[in-house]
Amino acid sequence: MNLVLLLSPILIPVVGALVLMLLDAFQKEEGGLAMPTALIHFTAAAMALALWKHGLPADVSALHGYLTIDKVSLFLDATIALGGAIASLLAGGYLAEHKLDRGEYYPLITFSTAGAMMLVSASDVLMLFLGLETMSLGVYAMTGFRRGSPRSAEAAMKYFLLGSFAAALLLFGSALLYVLTGHTDYAGIASALHDAAAQTAADATAAAQQTTRARVGIFAMLLVLVSMAFKVGAVPFHMWTPDAYEGAPTSSMAYMSVVVKAAAFGAFARIMLAIFGDANSAGAAAGWPAALAWIAVATMTVGNLIALAQTSVKRMLAYSSIAHAGYLLLGLVAAPREEGGTTAYAAMLFYLLSYTVSNLGAVGALILAGRRGAESVSHDDLAGYARRHPAAGFALTLFLLSLTGIPPTVGFFSKFYVVRSALDAGFTTLAIIAMINSAISAYYYLGVLVKMYMRDPAPGAPLASPMRSGYVTAALIVSAFFVVWMGVMPERWLDLAREAVSPAAANAAAPTADNAGGSAPAAQH
Amino acid sequence: MNSARHLLSVLIWLPAIAGILALFLPRQAPKLLRGYAVGAGLIIFAESLQLLVGATNPAEASTFRLVENVEWIPSLGIRYHLGVDGISLWLIILTTFLTPITMYASFGSIRNRQKEFIAAMLILESAMIGAFVSLDLFLFYVFWELMLVPMFLIIGVFGGQNRVYAAVKFFLYTFAGSVFMLIAILYMVAKYKGLTGHYSFDYVDLMRMGFPVGTERLLFAAFALAFAIKVPMWPVHTWLPDAHTEAPTGGSMILAAIMLKLGTYGFLRFGMGLFPLAAHWIGPTIALLACLGIILGALAAWRQYDFKKLIAYSSVSHLGFVMLGLASRTEAGVSGSILQMVNHGISTGALFLLVGVIYDRRHTRDVAEFGGLAKVMPVYAAMFVVVTMSSVGLPGTNGFIGEFLVITGSFASDLLNWSHHCSGAGVDRQCVNSQIGPLFALLAVSGVVLGAVYMLDVVQKVFFGPNSNPRNAHLEDLNTRERRAVIPLIAMIFALGLFPTTFRERIDPSVRSFLTVYNAKREALGSRRAETAPYLLDEATVQPPAGEGAAAEGHPTAMRGSSNHSHRASNLVALGD
Repeated sequence: MNLVLLLSPILIPVVGALVLMLLDAFQKEEGGLAMPTALIHFTAAAMALALWKHGLPADVSALHGYLTIDKVSLFLDATIALGGAIASLLAGGYLAEHKLDRGEYYPLITFSTAGAMMLVSASDVLMLFLGLETMSLGVYAMTGFRRGSPRSAEAAMKYFLLGSFAAALLLFGSALLYVLTGHTDYAGIASALHDAAAQTAADATAAAQQTTRARVGIFAMLLVLVSMAFKVGAVPFHMWTPDAYEGAPTSSMAYMSVVVKAAAFGAFARIMLAIFGDANSAGAAAGWPAALAWIAVATMTVGNLIALAQTSVKRMLAYSSIAHAGYLLLGLVAAPREEGGTTAYAAMLFYLLSYTVSNLGAVGALILAGRRGAESVSHDDLAGYARRHPAAGFALTLFLLSLTGIPPTVGFFSKFYVVRSALDAGFTTLAIIAMINSAISAYYYLGVLVKMYMRDPAPGAPLASPMRSGYVTAALIVSAFFVVWMGVMPERWLDLAREAVSPAAANAAAPTADNAGGSAPAAQH
Repeated sequence: MNSARHLLSVLIWLPAIAGILALFLPRQAPKLLRGYAVGAGLIIFAESLQLLVGATNPAEASTFRLVENVEWIPSLGIRYHLGVDGISLWLIILTTFLTPITMYASFGSIRNRQKEFIAAMLILESAMIGAFVSLDLFLFYVFWELMLVPMFLIIGVFGGQNRVYAAVKFFLYTFAGSVFMLIAILYMVAKYKGLTGHYSFDYVDLMRMGFPVGTERLLFAAFALAFAIKVPMWPVHTWLPDAHTEAPTGGSMILAAIMLKLGTYGFLRFGMGLFPLAAHWIGPTIALLACLGIILGALAAWRQYDFKKLIAYSSVSHLGFVMLGLASRTEAGVSGSILQMVNHGISTGALFLLVGVIYDRRHTRDVAEFGGLAKVMPVYAAMFVVVTMSSVGLPGTNGFIGEFLVITGSFASDLLNWSHHCSGAGVDRQCVNSQIGPLFALLAVSGVVLGAVYMLDVVQKVFFGPNSNPRNAHLEDLNTRERRAVIPLIAMIFALGLFPTTFRERIDPSVRSFLTVYNAKREALGSRRAETAPYLLDEATVQPPAGEGAAAEGHPTAMRGSSNHSHRASNLVALGD
């Protein structure tokens, strides 16, 4: 029972998806599953928060080190479930409007959510892979959901091929780690690496062997790093992102840009910090923050510069999501360097939550602007939109301002917090680059506002008008509520993020090296 | 006192709430909308007058008054810390005074989307007041950024032909400038945490920080860039003519009259207050740039054919006086600067309003289109001439007293004469044996002359001479709405010009106290030039000996004691060095 309770944030979407499939089989008309799907997600989020509130059981040996249910994973579970809930509400409006409302979408989204939650809890490379695939398969299908459209099929294909490539890299890296250490769980790998590095070589052969092992360790670290960089869409592994985002149905794009990102960042941070976080245990492989710092700089700069040139709002949001991945990487880069290593990690978690509500809102407002056969995707589609429809225009404005980082929205605060944690950790140059990028990004977000408020549509061009959908409206209201609330009163949310990463919380639930090293690998050997 | 305890919060949030409520009023009832806007503006103005009544009587004006200091985001050391002193007092009242006038005057030209215009104006007012009273750097930054969005919409939605370009340019210039300020703030806070073990964004706490000379200069540069763009100082002023030309009348008025003042205010309060050594080091250069701004702005204004561009360049010139006064570091100069900020707000606000009047009638701002208007629009011409006199600084009007004080201050300033600078050691050593003397004062005076030249030139062209253009033959004189909007401004021009002491007696104590702290901190920093890491100064250094009124509020950390011992009579004597 204890175990069921502990896993309930993951089990709820799993069971929920099965129920949804049954519902879909028995219902006569298509559609109508959005609300149950959103409810399943909200329940999962509530469960995660309840577990948090109630306190995690001290004894988690039943998980055998495969999964770590700690406050970090609960925080991310709640973020993912909130994102999934809003995304499924958006799907309820979008799919129906664009005649795509086939029932299988909702089980897919729910299964993906379960996969995403596994991913953020995974503390074993096998579990990591399983979670990654569970999440990704659903998302591949959601990307290609518009079957009649070649763009959608192309997007799904690209995403699938590059995603598989990344998964293969991850597997290769995991295999090398297993060869080196004989463990698949993070704690076991970390302690084995630590022991190996601590040994003093007896003779020249042993020394050479040790060097080789260190090199293999670096290589394994690189493979893991690259595969995770693929998943979060960091430059130069971002090539799939714009095509996949643009080709996918907009509701799938909403889901991909927030849930997949949150899950991938959660897993990324956990594996890097658990295995390579400590300079002693990982040896030379502990140099990854420096490498990641360069990736972060490239990611935000390239993302922002290419976003400047876009004429499609949807594609612009895809590049902006790359740029935001860059800001998020800042938190991950700073995390191991910093005293106690918590502020930057907390900043990253907070940023994920903030980006989830801001970006879902922005994409949702874009969905709202399109009707059947006249989806609004380009800047020109939106010309004069906010003048004709002030409320709908204001919604998009609010979320774009949050993405830009203008107070009093949460986007400002989360960017502030992540930059500050980078400064605290001593990455002054990195912080300055991030702020310059923030200024660059203002230009393209502003471009949309300019179109909406200050330009008239070309003569004869179709006028964008908002669709009428209770689902989308509800999703936007929920997002806007969080964007403003978290922006004006961030303290309580910051507390949550900080509590998630505080060492006390981690000790309460994370398996110690002993129990994980003792039980899980023993079963595998 | 109790009833006024939350006065500053009321002043910040009342306009914002009124602005949001305006969005829910029916669009079909323009009369209701206008009445609502002006009513709300006047109520806020009335509230702000309470600042004069109880809270900041002249004797106590040197300390921060009406302090509100509560936690906002405690774990990051961010507080909701507000306070008003003589430096910000008149700027707040200027804001609340001009906002209703601006809205009222705009109803002639802005006929569509009045609701959105009103909301944007009121939210903008809220952000501007917030920026003037924030004593927490984070809070200040929030309000500072918050100002951008409504102004962006006002220019971009209600502006002229090329409005989008101007709006985007305005936004990006200011936004790009301020991100460096944020980095500098964060850097200071990180170092403060390193020294004390806790975070604080509080102005009063961060005042105690000292930095190695090079670091201090970099930090100062980051702040100064943000403020210089806003002022705007030559050579980062190029966004201003575009923004002014394209903005609607109301937008230009608020932009010139108040938003630019946030640059000078921030330069004084934060740039000079936090980094006195660097500010002192760069002082002569700032003064030189200010003089360049005065002269080049005036010359550029002279060559303009576009009425609004002319006034925009005259703003560059007038703000040069303000910066020169600040750079003088004398009580007269700094007080004059603050007075000049208010003066410029009133006279330039009035000028933009009056230019808007003929633009509404003729839809052109080309000076060459007009001539002999005094015959067809006598009232208009009379008012325009009065405002022109204020703008060129005729004695008896407000423009005179500000410019006079600034020039006196720069004349008397030791810093700007470089006479005492030989005592400096190390990097600060700027030894000039012969006194440069009143170079800056001379440059500034030539700016005054040029100001008279271009303003009188345009008045002569537009109002006198033959009325040869048939389209000007039957222009309607000022209507009631326009008269009502202009008359309070004219009244203020004379009030400030004839009774400057009323205003100065609330400014001067704060300026004195500010300069005392400034010099004390500068000396303390100067004596620790050799430091290679950030350090904390004694609290006593940044708090001058407290006067009688200082302990009343019960927020000892929020106080800067008044220095009542200094002589009121020696107003013109330089305290700078």
